[in-house]
Amino acid sequence: MLKIDNLHAAVDGKPILKGISLAINAGEIHAIMGPNGSGKSTLAYVLAGRPGYEVTEGSVTFEGRDLLALEPHERAALGIFLGFQYPVEIPGVSTAQFLRTALNAQRSARGEAELSAGDFLRLARAQADALALPQEMMKRAVNVGFSGGEKKRGEMVQMGLLDPALAILDETDSGLDIDALRVVGEGINRIMRKPDKAVLLITHYQRLLDIVEPDFVHVLAGGRIVRSGGAELARELEREGYAELVA
Amino acid sequence: MTLLTLPSPREEAWRWSDLSALPKLAAVAPTGAVPEALPWIEGGPEGPRLVFVDGTFDPDRSDPRGVSVSPARYRPGHQPLADLAGATARAGYAVALGPDEAVAGLVQIVHISTGGAAHVSNRIALAAGAEVSVIETHVGGGWSNASALFELGPGARLRRVLRVLKAGGAHTDFVMARLDECAGYDAAAVVTGAESARIEHEVDLAGAGARAEVGGALLARGAEKLEGVTVLRHLAVGGASRQVWRSVADDRASASVAARVEVARGAQKTDAEQNLKGLLLDRGATINAKPELEIFADDVKCAHGASVGELDREALFYLESRGVTPAQARGLLTRAFVADALDRIGEEAVRAACYADAGKWFGGANE
Repeated sequence: MLKIDNLHAAVDGKPILKGISLAINAGEIHAIMGPNGSGKSTLAYVLAGRPGYEVTEGSVTFEGRDLLALEPHERAALGIFLGFQYPVEIPGVSTAQFLRTALNAQRSARGEAELSAGDFLRLARAQADALALPQEMMKRAVNVGFSGGEKKRGEMVQMGLLDPALAILDETDSGLDIDALRVVGEGINRIMRKPDKAVLLITHYQRLLDIVEPDFVHVLAGGRIVRSGGAELARELEREGYAELVA
Repeated sequence: MTLLTLPSPREEAWRWSDLSALPKLAAVAPTGAVPEALPWIEGGPEGPRLVFVDGTFDPDRSDPRGVSVSPARYRPGHQPLADLAGATARAGYAVALGPDEAVAGLVQIVHISTGGAAHVSNRIALAAGAEVSVIETHVGGGWSNASALFELGPGARLRRVLRVLKAGGAHTDFVMARLDECAGYDAAAVVTGAESARIEHEVDLAGAGARAEVGGALLARGAEKLEGVTVLRHLAVGGASRQVWRSVADDRASASVAARVEVARGAQKTDAEQNLKGLLLDRGATINAKPELEIFADDVKCAHGASVGELDREALFYLESRGVTPAQARGLLTRAFVADALDRIGEEAVRAACYADAGKWFGGANE
């Protein structure tokens, strides 16, 4: 599904990613762990196409297409979803308006019919219910006045609605209490744990991986993957820390 | 027709105006071609409808229901363009209501300009407690020049929405309003499409406790020059005023707002707010914002704010990462930007129509 080959990227001329290679197949959940500043969020942003993140070397293909040649909205229409570490507040734009525009833009890019307001609201309500968010959130401005936990659950509502093939989740567990963590983790399993979907889960902590069991765990340090393994690697890191790997 | 000597941009009050095209626009002969579909706002309470074509009342397309159409004549000396309209207009609407009278439904007035200069001079006189809601829409090209005198008796209430939705040409609009005790005046404008436009207000809050809101959305692109000019004079105690303007400029266009509040000696407990924000969609565009305060009373609350910015890049990326196209993302954020100015329009159908007017403009910006 996703093939990253020798990816180098820089921000403001400063090299951050220094040769990442990673293949993610349908049905797989990959966790990326690593100390602060190792390039985890940069990897997420590069894959989503954030302006200012310059790829200096290497390639990324998604379903055989050159991902790096596409605009962010085109990547989304292909089925890529970025769950933000810090979801952005947008005063004056209602969540419903935003998500209906997004969903219909994706549908029309794929040559599908647009959803009516009624059909959209039914879908949106089901997703909000599943993540224990009040229906009323759809009327509120995007992420404005949401608590940290509500923002993260809101990201999962968006993911459920947009139904992507690949979700890149950047520290979706940060800022969540135990109950919210369970709701979000179960949301990830419900929406993304499917044979035709894949997840790249960026996290610092084992606790999310207890709920969303990864098939592969990679440790990113200094802009490179320094170690890969199965779910047991995350538990080992939780016990022993990154110190030995990064040294 | 004689043109008075036009004000020059060297005069401070006219520095952001571009009147240079007016003589040329005025010299073009009107075609008289009226479009099939007129920009009526549907879905609101039905009321009188008046159509003016090139400054002349068109009875066949109108249903005035008692609103009269003689041009208002008033003393010159307020403002040169208003004087011109006052002296030469062949038509205008006139609403005169007795105590506690109200016009049922929205008074909708459509001005169509097919070329040349079209002057209208209008008047609304409301006795104590009277109430009316007026929507004026200007379409077509040419130069449309409207002036109006609004006199509000004690407790009277006037809501006026001005839609300038021209396909080129120029629009100049001057309102003098005088508010008696506890009268309320709410004015909102949405301005798109004119090569140049100047929307000007002079409001005297003459009676105690009078209240005025003046604002709008100026949406400029290409080489357009759009301008809002307001002078609000607090002359009595306990008056409240609010000005909310949102200016958007793309390409090489300019959108300017000069908002002045004067608080006279003795106008204690005045509560005035000026909120001017500009959004630059292109680095070659210009936003001017000039809030001015002149206060001669010592127990007043006068807030003023002016800011100019660009679209939030973080927000654009967030929207686009969900599949929203860059053009749609710009449209959503621009709509959100002007919302403060349009949300103040109380009648839902009118507010929706103004959002739709702005939406059409964003749609164009999205190409």
